[in-house]
Order: sequence, then structure tokens, then C-alpha cells
Amino acid sequence: MEHLLINTGWWIPCYGFLGALLTIPWVTRLVRRTGPRPAAYLNILMTVLAFIHGSLLFRQVWDHTPYHLVFNWLTVAGLELNLTFELSSVSVAAMESVTGLSLLAQLFALGYMEKDWALARFFALVGFFEGAMSAVAISNSLLVSYGLLELLTLSTYLLVGFWYAQPLVVKAARDAFLTKRAGDIILFAGVIALSSMAGSLDFNDLYDWCETTNISMLTKTLIGLALIAGPIGKCAQFPLHLWLDEAMEGPNPASILRNSVVVTGGAYILIKVHPILYLSPFVNDTLIVIGTVTAIGATLVSIAQVDIKRTISYSTSAYLGLVFISVGANWISFALFLLFAHAIAKALLFMSVGCVILTTNNQDVTEYGGLGKSMPATTIAYIVGTLAMTGVFPLGGFWAFQDGFKGFWVEYPWVIGVILLVNGLTTFNLTRVYGLVFLGKTQPKTRRAPEVPWPLALPMVFLTVFTLITPLIMSGFGLLPSLDDISLFQIGSISLSSLIGFAAGALLYFNPDRQPMKFPVLKVQKLLEKDFYTEDFYNNTIVWAISQLSRIIAWVDRYVVEGLVNSVGVATIFGSEGLKYGTSGQVQSYFFTITVGVGVLGLMVVWLFW
Amino acid sequence: MLSILLVVPLIGAALVAWWPGKTRSIASTVALAVIGWTVLLLTKFNLGEPGMQFVEDFTWIDSLGLSYKLGIDGLSLPLVALNSLLTWVAIYSSDEKVDRPRLYYSLILLLNAAVTGVFLAQDLLLFFISYELELVPLYLLIAIWGGQKRAYAATKFLIYTALSGALILAAFLGLAWLGGSNSFTYNPALAHALPLNQQFLLLGALLLGFGIKMPLFPFHTWLPDAHVEASTPISVLLAGVLLKLATYGILRFCVGLFPDAWQVAAPWLAGWAIISVLYGALMAIAQKDMKKMVAYSSVSHMGYILLAAAANTPLSFSAAMIQMVSHGLISAALFLSVGVVYQKAGTRDITILEGLLNPERGMPVIGSLMILGVMASAGIPGMVGFVAEFLIFRSTFPIFPIPTLLCMIGTGLTAVYYLLLINKAFFGRLSPQVQDLEAVTWRERYPAMILTGAIILFGFVPGWITRWSEPTILAMLQPPAIVATVATIPTLDLQP
Repeated sequence: MEHLLINTGWWIPCYGFLGALLTIPWVTRLVRRTGPRPAAYLNILMTVLAFIHGSLLFRQVWDHTPYHLVFNWLTVAGLELNLTFELSSVSVAAMESVTGLSLLAQLFALGYMEKDWALARFFALVGFFEGAMSAVAISNSLLVSYGLLELLTLSTYLLVGFWYAQPLVVKAARDAFLTKRAGDIILFAGVIALSSMAGSLDFNDLYDWCETTNISMLTKTLIGLALIAGPIGKCAQFPLHLWLDEAMEGPNPASILRNSVVVTGGAYILIKVHPILYLSPFVNDTLIVIGTVTAIGATLVSIAQVDIKRTISYSTSAYLGLVFISVGANWISFALFLLFAHAIAKALLFMSVGCVILTTNNQDVTEYGGLGKSMPATTIAYIVGTLAMTGVFPLGGFWAFQDGFKGFWVEYPWVIGVILLVNGLTTFNLTRVYGLVFLGKTQPKTRRAPEVPWPLALPMVFLTVFTLITPLIMSGFGLLPSLDDISLFQIGSISLSSLIGFAAGALLYFNPDRQPMKFPVLKVQKLLEKDFYTEDFYNNTIVWAISQLSRIIAWVDRYVVEGLVNSVGVATIFGSEGLKYGTSGQVQSYFFTITVGVGVLGLMVVWLFW
Repeated sequence: MLSILLVVPLIGAALVAWWPGKTRSIASTVALAVIGWTVLLLTKFNLGEPGMQFVEDFTWIDSLGLSYKLGIDGLSLPLVALNSLLTWVAIYSSDEKVDRPRLYYSLILLLNAAVTGVFLAQDLLLFFISYELELVPLYLLIAIWGGQKRAYAATKFLIYTALSGALILAAFLGLAWLGGSNSFTYNPALAHALPLNQQFLLLGALLLGFGIKMPLFPFHTWLPDAHVEASTPISVLLAGVLLKLATYGILRFCVGLFPDAWQVAAPWLAGWAIISVLYGALMAIAQKDMKKMVAYSSVSHMGYILLAAAANTPLSFSAAMIQMVSHGLISAALFLSVGVVYQKAGTRDITILEGLLNPERGMPVIGSLMILGVMASAGIPGMVGFVAEFLIFRSTFPIFPIPTLLCMIGTGLTAVYYLLLINKAFFGRLSPQVQDLEAVTWRERYPAMILTGAIILFGFVPGWITRWSEPTILAMLQPPAIVATVATIPTLDLQP
């Protein structure tokens, strides 16, 4: 039984893929009679199976040395490529979180996407998504992880582009694919380089290689930079953060997974490769700089957004920025705590926001108001999500932040300042959204908004409760530090930063006559609203450069390359046209030509052999 | 054993031309018979034997030194199989109401025989004869069943490829003459004795010849024209098999006959590969015609093979083989999908087409196959394109680190142009110009579905391609030690 469980561990991601495959008859509309719902049920069933299988496995691997599964994928000309998986308590727990959140998101989607004609396609994509994400959790090889990242890029493209008939969606899907792909290609270069130098792509072999390698510092740095490029794209970090904001055009249940789990997948790979990154201090500094810029920048940008999904999605980038800092500063436990806390809280926030959007058919926060009374479950979910995000004792975020105190206090005290700043600003932002959406007077679009029906409410309430009891579960496993280890100063400063954010938000947005958005300087507001003009920047630089270059090349192809070829042809035609006048019929001219020709040849012979 | 692969399609061509009755079904039966025989060959093929198998050797014209010598080894076997498969796909996907069906189908079968002949020939002159023979049916297939500018495109194709053939013939004649051989039998030892500058001369002629056919920048301009004008099944064959004649020729003759000169020329060839890869990719971005886009992507993706060939290691050769098969399958699948789009919508212009994924009035299945195809081409894992690209870059990186990185940009650009295509033609709303499309039947979907299935299958078990060619490649590149798997690479010491 034990062996069976371990050896079948790799099945768990396959359930998701299998679910996706099983939906094909409905997606291709071979089966029309039943409607698309059976496809959804099949996928949910597969996820349930994955979850159950995962929990059995978790009992097996808990408190046990990690198991390794190795499959030979390809052996060619001396190169051996293995697919390896590690079943440890951390990786299986991560996989469980993925399947669990995916299950909740799918149940939520059943209600959210009810009226969509392409329900089957949605579930197929989500199944695919889930399979790839849960495989990332147990992957123990850079090759596998890279491949899965690419699959996630593909499925993100298709999920964001789900409603492909809308122009904004089309653009969002394209940007999501291309920005991530840019990161992935650089990561690919790193994978290729590591594979050539270390000879293996299994993480364990790579760690061993790190100990002994003597390559130059520049090479180390380049490899490190290549390795972080993929996670930068996947975790929506500066400068590849653009896509996450645009991806909010996609269906909400997918946004739940994207903002909670997919970004976590990218960060998870970053954590997996971190021993390689430590070969070069420059790479670590880069991580810290990128993390800091993203954390502060994205939080500020989120405050200026009016689209309810975007207000929250930017904070995803910000929190992942903190994770980047922690990996750069070699304090991994903060990253793991924060990723876990963030994943659950963000999923909850997105569910709540999804309910608001579905009920009101509106995403503009300026047109909301007064939903608190009519949608109690949604409101509570939002509040709990906010509390868990923003470091309120004793919920998830708090434990993550206090761990940060421990890690950064000595070497990087300023990081604690960043954490507190991000926490404060995030609290302010979430309070602002709360005030605008749930408090105040009702507006035309929110006047008769009812609470969502049970298919949406059930997963949301469940996740609310789960968020509340997560700290209990974690302390049950002995993962939380005892209260004695936490100084009053830590509790005080974290709470104070949250409190200040809350107070500022409440002051500005809890009064009935609040203005939706008001910055003292209009230019600053525009700057933040437009995300520091990143999109324009890209359009005017790289996009412009490539399109111009391809135009120039197309011109060269048409007129220079083709032109040369054609001129050979033209020269041939003109040459023969000219020569044909030689056939005049005059014997004299023939005789003359022959004489001249023989004379020239004779001279040459004389010249050469004399 | 091998002659049957040539004889069956030839007899088939004659039957199709003169036997009364259903031309199309005879043609597809013959194509299936060829596939059957190929499968039989696969089962009989001895994997442990690196050299030629099933050799048939008869003297043909003694005074010329021409012998009818056939043989098959790991380099040619996968390509022969690809040829058999794609010939059937081409016949199956041909328009049922095609004009002059007898001539059409018999030309396709003739083409199949000629291409197989190229892959099997073990005599240089026989290779050349098959290489030229393949020109005739393809020229006619483009010139008779092509689009509006078919005469122009077919003639251009003919001139280019004839020139390519002439250069190859010159190189072969030169080799036999300089090497003092009185026959044209494939003999790797022949060029060894020649001085290096003579080797360069001969290698240069061969390279130019195959470079035109492959095609490499700046000899590529015939390809987009030929593709745009050719009908879908012919494009499938052209991209899927015909281009592989050149890459096969490079591996077999350029590297096989002139290893010393090749080793010296390799860095320059890597540079040529970069230019071809990036040029093709940038050209593809500028295209509005779907078929032209796929054609330029072929220019780009064939450049990888030159890069791999330049690296000249067993691993890079295996990678090149996978890339040949992968490109054959993927480009064929893409051309099939584009063909369906063109047939239903009447245009391939991505500025006009829009919203083809529309589930009721569009072509959702073809659109999905197209998305899978372009993703495979862009190297998304789980499909054979990824394996090919990974192995190529992995094998060339230790030898040419910078060229490899530059070529990887080409992979990124592949995603750019294909995404433009998908976004413009398949996403969005159905455009007013192109509406009320005729429904796509399952018949029209099968060929692309089969190829997509193969693309995914080989993406999961790439060993099923590499196992055939590995022993041959290992034996072929015995002298230079296996460089691909060294633990530390001295060439990559990027000191600041």
C-alpha cells in the first residue's frame, strides 16, 4: 500500500489533464444533447479524485524523508533526460493546496459560468491548468518545471482569451502570452546552459554541481539572471508585470487560480533554484531590487485603479515582490509563509469580488455602493480575505510578516520597512475598495443586488471558514512559532501599519459623500492609473523596434534579394535579345567575328605558354 | 525489399493514369500500400546495425560508373516514413473534384517515388537523378493546379532547383574526378585524400546546392512564392518532405563526405544559420498571408538544422533528425489547417479574416488544431517541436554558445508571428466580409488531426524517433569525441 501510494504519486497531476481530455466530446460539440455540464462534472470529479489521492499520499509522506520518482524520458547520443518528481511533505502539501483551491474555484465556476455556452471549454482549460500547476509542486527537475511553466503560459493564454470575441480580451491574451514567453525564453537559455554545464537538470544534481563548480563569475551571474527571468514573467514582477493586470479581462474563476496559484507556481520554482542563484551576489541584489520596486510600485498603482479586479490583482504583484525580496535575501521561510497565506487570502478576495461582479454586471468601483447590507456572505468573505492578507493577528498574513521580522532584522532591516509600507498601503487600498463597494449609498447598478446563489456562496463560505481556521491547522502541525517567541514590538508594528492604512482608508472612503478617487496632483494619479505608462513604454520601444525591423527586412527581401535575382533574369533576357541581332546573315560579319575570336584565343595561348 | 518502395508508387502512378475507374481510391490505396511497406520495413529494420541495411546493388551503366545501389540507414529511415505518411495525407486531403485527376494523382505518386529514391540512393549519380526527377512532377503540380500566379511561381521553383541540382552534380563529378574514382558509389573515404582547398570548393558547391533547396537566406525567395501558389496538398509535400531532401543531403553528403572541410567551415555555417533563422522569423512577422507566414517560418526553422549540422556532434545530429521530422509534421499540419481556412473563407489574408473560432459559424476545430500547431511550432512542451528545439539548442550550446542564444531569439519570434496570426484570424468577431462559411466536415479535419496526434505523441515519447537514427549517427561521427556531454565547457568561459 505504501509503495503503491508513492509510486502512483505522479498520477495526481494527471487527473487534471485527464479531466481536460475527457471534456473533448463536449468541447468539440460531438455531444450536444446533454449540454456542456457533464464536462464540468467530470472535471470536478477528477479534481476530487486528485484531492483524495493527494491527502492519502500526504499522510504517507508526512514526517518522512522525501521520496523520489525518476522516469527516463529520453536517452540519445549520451544525453540522458529524466523526469523526476519529489514527494515530500512540503511538495505534497503544496499540491494539495493547488488541487483544493482548484476544486473550490471549479465549484465556484459552475455557478459563475452557468450561462456561458463554452462551459465545457472553460473546464477543459481549468483541468489542464490544474494538472500543470500541481505537477509544478512535485517537480524535482528544472526540465519538468520549465516545461510546466510553458504549459501554464499556454493555458493562461487560452484562459485569458476565453472570451475571444472581445477586442480587449484578444489584446490581453496576446500580452499575457508574449510577456511570459519573453521570460520563458530567457529561462530556456538558462536551462540549456545548466544542462550543458551540470550534465543533469535534476535539482539535487544541480545543487551538488553548485558546490563544486568553478565557472567564472560572469557565467554564474548570467545563468542566475536567466533563471529568475522565468519567475519574473510568471509572478508578474517588474518589468514583465503588464500581463496580470490585463489578464483581468478573463473569466473570474480563472483569475482566482491565476492570482493565487499560478503566481505561486512561478515563485515556487524560484525557491527551487535559489541555491543556484546564490552563486552570484549580483543576482540576489537584482532579486531584491526587482522585488522592492514591484512591491512598492504595484501597491501604489493598485490604489489608483477603478476596475475592481485590477485593484486587487496589482497587490498580487506586490506580495510576490516581497517573496522575491525574501529569496534574494536568502530567507525562504518568509517566502513560503507569505505564498501560502497570500494564495488563500487572494483566492477568497477574488471569489468575493467575483460575486460582486456577477450580481451587478459591473467592474467599475465608482458605480458600486451599499452592497454590504444586501450581500452579507460576500461582504464577510471580503473582510476575512482582507484581514488574512494584511497581517491582522492571528490570521495568515500576520504569521508571514512576523517571520519576516525574524529573517530581515539583522541583515536587511530596511526590508521590514518595505514590508510594513506594503502592508499599510494594501490595507489602505482594500479598505478603500471596501468603502466604495460595500458601504455608502446604493447606486443604480447596486440597488437591487441580491446575495449570490448557493453554487457561488458555498465555496466562498467554505473558503472563508478555512481561512479563519488555517492558523489552527498550521499550529496543529507545529508550523507556527509559539507566542513567546514573538515580541510585542513585532505585533505592535505590524498591527500599527495595518491600523494606519485602515484608518486612512476609513477616513477617506467610509463617509457617504466620498469621492471615488482623489489625488492631490492629477499627474501622479494618471501616472499610477496608467501603471507608470509601462504599456506605452513597451509599445514605443520593443514592439515598435520589432515591427520596424520586420518592415525593413520585408522591404529588403522584396527589393534587394528579389531584385538581385530578378536582375539576373533581366540581364539574361537582355543579353540574349541583344545577341540575337548578331544573326544577320552577312557572311562578312561572321567571318569578322570568327577572326577576332580566334585571334583573341591565339593571343591568350601565346601569352600563357610562351 | 527497398525497390518495392520505388516500384509500388511507380506502378500505382501508371495504374492511376490508365486504369479505368476511381482514380482517387486507387491512388490512396497505393499510398496506403506504401505506408504498409514502410511499416514492414520499420519492423524488419535492425536497430543495432549502424550501417546500410537491405542493400541492393546492381551495375546500371558501367561506362558512366552509375550503379543502382539502394540502402537504408538511420538517417534515411525516418524521412522515408515521413514521406510515405505525408504522401497519403496529401492524397487524402486533395480536393475530390480536382481537375484532371489521373494526371494529378499519378504525379503525386511519381513524386513519392522520386523522393524515396533520393533518400535510398547510395550512388551519387543515382541520388542526383532522383533529385532532378522529383522536380518534374512538383513543377507540374504547381504549374497546373496552382493559384493565379502559378506559372511564375512554378518556373521560379524550377530554375532555382535546377540550379541547385546542377551545383550538386558539379560537386559529385568533381569529387569523382579529383578523387580518381571510376564509380559514383557513396564512399566517405574518397574526399579524405583531397587537399583542403579542393574539399572546400566541392563542399561549397554542395552547400550552395542544398542551401537553395533548404532554403537558406538569400536563396529562399522561391519558397514563399511556390507555397502561396501551390494547392494545399502540394504545400504539405513541399514543406513536409521536399525541404528535407536538402537537410538530408547536408547531413549525408556535406558532413559525410567532407568532414574535415566541414569542421573548418562550421563557425561560418553557424553564422549563416543565425541569419537565416532571424531573417525568416522577421519576414514572417511582416506577412499578411497565412501561407506566406508559415512558409517563412519554414525558412526560419530549417535554419536550426544548419546550426545543428554545424555543431557536428552525435547529439546535434539526432536533434537535427528530430527537427526534420518535427518540422515535417508541424508544417504539414499548419498548411492543412490554412488550406481549410482558404477553401472555406476564400482568403488567407489575416487583415480580412477574423473570429474564425466562432463555434457556430466559424471553424472551431480547425482553429483549435491551428492553435496546437502554432504552439508546437513555437516549442511548447508536450509536443515534438519542443523536443527538437531543446535538443538542438542543448547540443549546439557547448560548441556555439552565442549563435545558439541568438537562434533562441528566433523561437521567441516564432511565438510573436504565430500569435499575431491566431489573434487576428481566429480571435475576435467574424468579420463582415467573411461570414456564412460553409461548415467544415470531419473528412477535412482528419488529416490535420492525425498529424496533430503524431505531434503530441512524439512530444511525449521522442525516443521513438531518435532510436532509429542513433546508431547510424554514432557510427558516422565516431572520430570527433562525443563533445555533447562534457561536464564543464572550456569554450564558454565568458570572462568580462
